[in-house]
Amino acid sequence: MPAREKDFEFRRSFFQRMMGGIYYLINLIVPWHRLPTLIGGYNLEAFRERLREQNLHHTGYGPSEAPSWRAGNERWRSADGSYNSLVHPRMGMAGVRFGRNVPLAEATPDSQAELLDPSPRVISNEILRRDKFKPATTLNLLAAAWIQFETHDWLFHGKPATAENAFEIPLSPNDDWPDAHDGVMRIRRTPPDTSPREPWLGATPTFRNHQSHWWDGAQIYGSDQKIQNQLRSRDDGRLNLGPDGLLPDDPAAPGHDLTGFNDNWWIGLSLLHNLFSREHNAICAALKEHYPAWNDEELFQHARLVNAALMAKIHTVEWTPGVLAHPTLEFAMNANWRGISSRVLRAVLGEDNETVHGIPGSATAYHSSPYAMTEEFVSVYRLHPLIPDELVVRSLKPDVSEETYDFIKVQGPSTRDVMLKHGFADLLYSFGTANPGAITVGNYPDFLRSLQKVGEPLMDMAAIDIMRDRERGVPRYNRFRELVGKPRVKNFEEVTSIPGMAAKLRDIYQNVDRIDLLVGLLSEDLPQGFGFSDTAFRIFILMASRRLNADRFYTVDYRPEIYTQLGMDWINNNTMKSVLLRHVPELAQALDSIPNPFGPWNKL
Amino acid sequence: MARSINIPGLLRLVIVRSAAEAAEVDEAAGVDRPLSGRGRLINRLIAAKLAPFTTPDGQPWPAFAARLDALRAERQSGLEEALSRSANLLQRLEPEISDLAAFVCDRLPGASVGVIVQQAIGRLFFPDYRATDDSYAAAVTLSTWLSAGPIKSLLLKRSGRFQAALDLVTQDARGNASCAHAIGIALHGIIESVILMQQLASGSDQLHHLSPEEAVAQTLRAPARIIREARDRVQGRHLQLQSRSLILIPVESLRQQSADRGAAFAAGRWNQCPAHAFVPSFLAQVWRVARDSQ
Repeated sequence: MPAREKDFEFRRSFFQRMMGGIYYLINLIVPWHRLPTLIGGYNLEAFRERLREQNLHHTGYGPSEAPSWRAGNERWRSADGSYNSLVHPRMGMAGVRFGRNVPLAEATPDSQAELLDPSPRVISNEILRRDKFKPATTLNLLAAAWIQFETHDWLFHGKPATAENAFEIPLSPNDDWPDAHDGVMRIRRTPPDTSPREPWLGATPTFRNHQSHWWDGAQIYGSDQKIQNQLRSRDDGRLNLGPDGLLPDDPAAPGHDLTGFNDNWWIGLSLLHNLFSREHNAICAALKEHYPAWNDEELFQHARLVNAALMAKIHTVEWTPGVLAHPTLEFAMNANWRGISSRVLRAVLGEDNETVHGIPGSATAYHSSPYAMTEEFVSVYRLHPLIPDELVVRSLKPDVSEETYDFIKVQGPSTRDVMLKHGFADLLYSFGTANPGAITVGNYPDFLRSLQKVGEPLMDMAAIDIMRDRERGVPRYNRFRELVGKPRVKNFEEVTSIPGMAAKLRDIYQNVDRIDLLVGLLSEDLPQGFGFSDTAFRIFILMASRRLNADRFYTVDYRPEIYTQLGMDWINNNTMKSVLLRHVPELAQALDSIPNPFGPWNKL
Repeated sequence: MARSINIPGLLRLVIVRSAAEAAEVDEAAGVDRPLSGRGRLINRLIAAKLAPFTTPDGQPWPAFAARLDALRAERQSGLEEALSRSANLLQRLEPEISDLAAFVCDRLPGASVGVIVQQAIGRLFFPDYRATDDSYAAAVTLSTWLSAGPIKSLLLKRSGRFQAALDLVTQDARGNASCAHAIGIALHGIIESVILMQQLASGSDQLHHLSPEEAVAQTLRAPARIIREARDRVQGRHLQLQSRSLILIPVESLRQQSADRGAAFAAGRWNQCPAHAFVPSFLAQVWRVARDSQ
């Protein structure tokens, strides 16, 4: 496929360009987040249109063809995401390359000499390391687990298979890294993309997504038919759950639940996987009651459609406004899903406008590139500071005392033991009443900076996060700002007002254009109510809509003929809170009068 | 010391003035050949001017390809390897060399030296390549496009002449970006050298007194200028570059300051011309045949 193809051309209309220009001028004086809600909402729309035109770049698919057609592909999601687009069947399927949010010529790694400058280990030690836990007090720990749960639906670069050709980070003499090899820390490279490269890719490296790119619940259902077959009970469409109501143990990875994707496993993921596997089975039961003649396949596939859409809705209208608690954003995210009720705005924007009706049910749109998750999206979702170093387990029963775990004890092979010991309800309650870490510098969990996973070398995830962006050619912070439509900063003081941080950044980086993206995003001053940076938010504005816009099952096929009327009603009438209460009614008191289930719950 | 022209909103340009500065630009991590089309108005206009030099599938011509583009590097070294077999190639180009020698001796009145040079270069890639007046006119149009001011550029664009020229060169190059660059842009330096040879040979006895190597040294010409862009701020030993600065390297002028013949071809650097050895051999052979034919 050439770099540009007719199906993927998008140009803003004259009106949209004009509005973009007007908002550009307005934003020179007032940023979008200080404008009145409706005007600010349209400001976001102007950003999004510009991003759709300029910030979607195709890197080729990688695999030369889609798998063979299977019966049902026209009305159900395939296991690997192929045939979501019936015209471009490879689009978004597992194994296809990540796309880009910056022009390909800008997405090139530094030369070898510059790639390690400054040392990622120094950044980990001096800038990212948690000095003391800084909580995000408006959120609960379920919000942290949720975003990892969702990213596991969307993306996975694969595990580095070999230490060959690893990056070698020189360690300073006073660095006590225990796994040093001749004075260097080794960081394995991302698994390479070995598919033939298109000549127009230039110096842009490509990597493949091992998950389906779509918002299809792949973390629960898998991105591969073989895995999916393992998970299904073949009984009325249900997923396998044990007699204790929990997902079975994965024989290949003891302590991990057997589910669609169980890498980087910890108790937070286990809770959400169990919750939405139960939800799947509840949807199956309801469908079975309405359509008693349906076989296992019909029930499973319909339930998957409904469950995936419900998770997408929860993410859009509950999780996002929870993390980015700003009235304009709450308005915008609701408009994304439900549309707007204002008659005046409907008249002004026109009946065909996606803002009027919401994206679900609108026409499928790919804008300027075939749909794919992007490397830049991966980068802005590096949110490890959300994870605390300790988990306090509380019980719903008043007479049971709290128990505190080091986080390392509630992850990997230990996960299942914790779940069995404390039970689903108490752990959910514990997550609902604990705060995650704030997404900022100096708050990277210590245990992740020295993480030992089974069968893998000791890892400093903070240094790895820095190295991954550099390896994948993600522009550094200042150029990234420019490329997503924000002005470059001229000095370190413009990046951050965190006391002492500008001086620290200057000391380490010297040149403001060398600040790593992650460091810039974590240092940046945030708009009121925001849990993460406004620069990262630009990618978010684009991609949050795109995950829906490009997906046939959220656009032209988001209709009762595909989902059933029961399915549509299920999506419309349910929320995170109703899902929690359906499966764990004991949480009713803890959730009573809580406006957003991703905010702190009542402590009983 | 480099000259910096900084007009807010309009232009951010750095003009390199020494070989050391040019070398630093070549090696700087934040500087590359593809122009982003960002920054100030004239910077964007220049980028827009160079943007069409791609193959139909979007692959940039080699002179505009990124430093770290592995395919560019591979093709560059492949072409260099192919052009290093100069004895064979010069044999293949005997008819064109003979015509050019006749031109140098002023025995080919009315001949278009441009067509002959274009054909010689094209036959390095495809032995059956045939240049015509139209194909050479297309190359002239591309050259005019690169050096034209805004009004002339607009006229070339609106009349369709530029696109037609680009299409013809691309078609003649059969999808080979290196060939397109050679028969569309790079040929002009060689044409200039041959014309200088003719001037050198006429009106005196230079043809017999100068060895081919001396003649080449006197007539070899580099591209007048090339453009780079600093994506990020660069703090080097000789240069301080702001982000999104255009950097103009007056290659020919730097070559004249340098005793090194390789300066015309950036020899020894990552961006060295793959024909850095072949072009001097080719010109020397033209001079040699011209001398022998007298």
